[in-house]
Amino acid sequence: MYSSEEKAVIYAAAVKGMNNRAGLAFLRGEGVLRRLTREEEAATDAAIAALERQGMFLVTCLSKDYPELLRNASDPPLLLYGMGNRELLSRRKFCIVGSRKTPKFAMEAGERIARELAEHFTIVTGLAEGGDSAAIEGALPSGSLISVLPCGLDTCYPAMHASKKETIARKGLILSENPPGKGAAKWSFHYRNRILAGLSEGVLVLSAAKSSGALITANRAVDYGRDVFALPYSIGIEQGEGCNELIRSGAMLVTSAEDILSFYGIETKKKEKPVVEGDEGRILQYLREKGESHVASLAEDLGMRIFEASAALSALEIKGLATKTGGNKYAAL
Amino acid sequence: MIAKIICYALNGLEGIPVEVEADVNKGVPSYDMVGLPDTAVKESKERVRSALKNSGLLFPMNRITINFAPADLKKEGAAFDLAIAISLLKASEQLLGADVKDIVFLGELALTGDIRPINGLLPILISAKSHGFSKFIIPAENAEEARYLGEAEVYPAASLSEVVRHLVGMQPIPPIEMKEFVPGRHRRASADLKYVKGQPIARRALEIAVAGGHNMLMSGPPGTGKTMLARCLPTVMPDLTFEEALEITKIHSVAGVLGEEGIVSERPFRTPHHTATTVSMCGGGNKIVHPGEISLAHGGVLFLDELPEYKRSTLEALRQPLEDGCITVSRAGGTFTYPARFMLCASMNPCPCGNYGSTDRTCTCTPAEIRRYRRKISGPLLDRIDLQVEVDNITYDDLTSEDSSEDSASVQKRVNAARRIQRARFEGSSIHTNAEMGEKEIQEFCTLTREGDKILRDAFERMKLSARARARIIKVARTIADLDASEEIQPKHVFEAVSYRLFDKG
Repeated sequence: MYSSEEKAVIYAAAVKGMNNRAGLAFLRGEGVLRRLTREEEAATDAAIAALERQGMFLVTCLSKDYPELLRNASDPPLLLYGMGNRELLSRRKFCIVGSRKTPKFAMEAGERIARELAEHFTIVTGLAEGGDSAAIEGALPSGSLISVLPCGLDTCYPAMHASKKETIARKGLILSENPPGKGAAKWSFHYRNRILAGLSEGVLVLSAAKSSGALITANRAVDYGRDVFALPYSIGIEQGEGCNELIRSGAMLVTSAEDILSFYGIETKKKEKPVVEGDEGRILQYLREKGESHVASLAEDLGMRIFEASAALSALEIKGLATKTGGNKYAAL
Repeated sequence: MIAKIICYALNGLEGIPVEVEADVNKGVPSYDMVGLPDTAVKESKERVRSALKNSGLLFPMNRITINFAPADLKKEGAAFDLAIAISLLKASEQLLGADVKDIVFLGELALTGDIRPINGLLPILISAKSHGFSKFIIPAENAEEARYLGEAEVYPAASLSEVVRHLVGMQPIPPIEMKEFVPGRHRRASADLKYVKGQPIARRALEIAVAGGHNMLMSGPPGTGKTMLARCLPTVMPDLTFEEALEITKIHSVAGVLGEEGIVSERPFRTPHHTATTVSMCGGGNKIVHPGEISLAHGGVLFLDELPEYKRSTLEALRQPLEDGCITVSRAGGTFTYPARFMLCASMNPCPCGNYGSTDRTCTCTPAEIRRYRRKISGPLLDRIDLQVEVDNITYDDLTSEDSSEDSASVQKRVNAARRIQRARFEGSSIHTNAEMGEKEIQEFCTLTREGDKILRDAFERMKLSARARARIIKVARTIADLDASEEIQPKHVFEAVSYRLFDKG
């Protein structure tokens, strides 16, 4: 049930089409927060009922469970449309983003970090392929996942992720500041990114080229005074230039979930290490020393047959200790 | 007087005996043909008339009726010319004393009286032999094709007058000498694995694919030697047996693509262009059905370069033949079944620009483009490709390196050994290779150790393999174990099999 003040906001935003980014000050100054007339209240109730029929709920900036961090940001949305597990709003939140073309190893790392962080935080991310997908894959099984869309909740961008969106709505939560039926526009991604940063205590950037949406999110996080984390990259990888730039200007370098958890003073349980057998140990050692290596050169240097090396690398991949990075090359994780 | 001559018509790969009856009667000169002849057969009137005249023989100026029996079968093509001419000669009593009974006459006539070669000679000869015929007169240019027929009297004739002199005993034609089949006699030595530089992983995958009869897909940047690798496939496949060679030769003979050797002694390697239509791929035609590329690749390799560039409908049409090993095409002229048991080898770029996944070059494709590119290959088709392997970017050092790689012959030895194990395993069933195993055989022959099962379970979770991938991984692991001469599938075999799945991973 919504209070009369909340209804006033819903009336102004959802019925009258007030700018959702107008700000809290506007809300107080413009006399939005007044008692609604009977007709206005009926219209508001009808709008709420229509949304509820679609399985959506509304959170206004005056609602009790409106995320405190977001409310304290400089330009919070006045009204949020949500679908899924509303309780996630009041949990601790952490944002993981990355560009759409995230390299394989960063995808694997992102997924693993998301999975481990999801035990302590609700993971906040978008719905695109690449970095967003890595975060979703990692956090979705536990359900601690909020996906913020740049369009109305009944539409989906990119369209191919429609089924993914529905799964998140069922297990986690999808949020948007846009009313149903509104498509994604170029600028709506920028506005969406401010919500990603605003909701979260910190932002981890998995990958970002020199100019990338993930960097915008990171910059908004800096504006809001949130913590910024980034994966480190070696020289010459386009998708890592933004991350390295962030680290240079003071972002925290992250290689595992422990880095983030210990930053927030959260103790982690010691994980049991996977058993490494036979040649796998030698290969892992080699990969750690040489970095990314081709199967052939690895096999030659270690004096193994090619197919023995492939089999052992496959084993390491299955145990989550190495990953195929493309072109028959492998890297340690 | 009535004369009866035996000729043969083709229905798919099956020869059907046709009796050519000629009746030469008194009356107003006329020339009629009955018994469902098509245009090419009807036109033989003029060829036969000129050929007789130009061979110094008489064309009877009487009332002529030619009948083809059985009357309900459509007769097509020019292979009846010789039989018609002989029947006319016999009926007009120009072949006195000649015994034409039980001889099968095959050949097309030129106006000069020369005999031209025909398509599909070998399948006709084989069928006719099984019907009890043992004497054949065939075009001289087709002689090579008949050399592998075995016990039979085959007389090659270059012209109609030669045939006449042979029949009346003036100048008998010596029967052709039969040849012993030697696999690979006419091997074109251009492709050999020893010329392939680098690519250790793709080479290994190729060996496994051939050993187990698996289909394979190579993915890699342009210009890395995918085509060259594929061309080596026939060189490592087991040698053709005579029966296989005959079957392949029959198909090639019907399609008219048989070379001068007369028999296919090397496994075929077909590379249809990506603009190929479904009909050219699967076979078809207006009335008679010509075998398509998949039938021409029977017993060998069908190589599809740049797989996503092919028309989707064409690729989907491959699914059923890949499963059944034959293709049935129905047309107005009838329903034809051609064998099509081939190994599919395909290549593709990882993305439209070719650099996706490469760490030293940037891919300029958008994710949507890559998705669209890959979506052109349907899941069900990928399902039938057991091995998917990445081909490396070749470095300059690889190209110039002196040490030559292992040659095809030594790889073939290992393949033969693995095939021997499989033959023993599938003795008495219709299956020949591991790739053809169904769920029943997998349960029977591919029991995993408890450890192996756990690995597969882990692999599914970690690499997000699709459920369909399981059977394929097990089959490939079985082949790897066979190459290793190992009775049971060990964990290392499973691990290696997992590494050949590219497109199942999430």
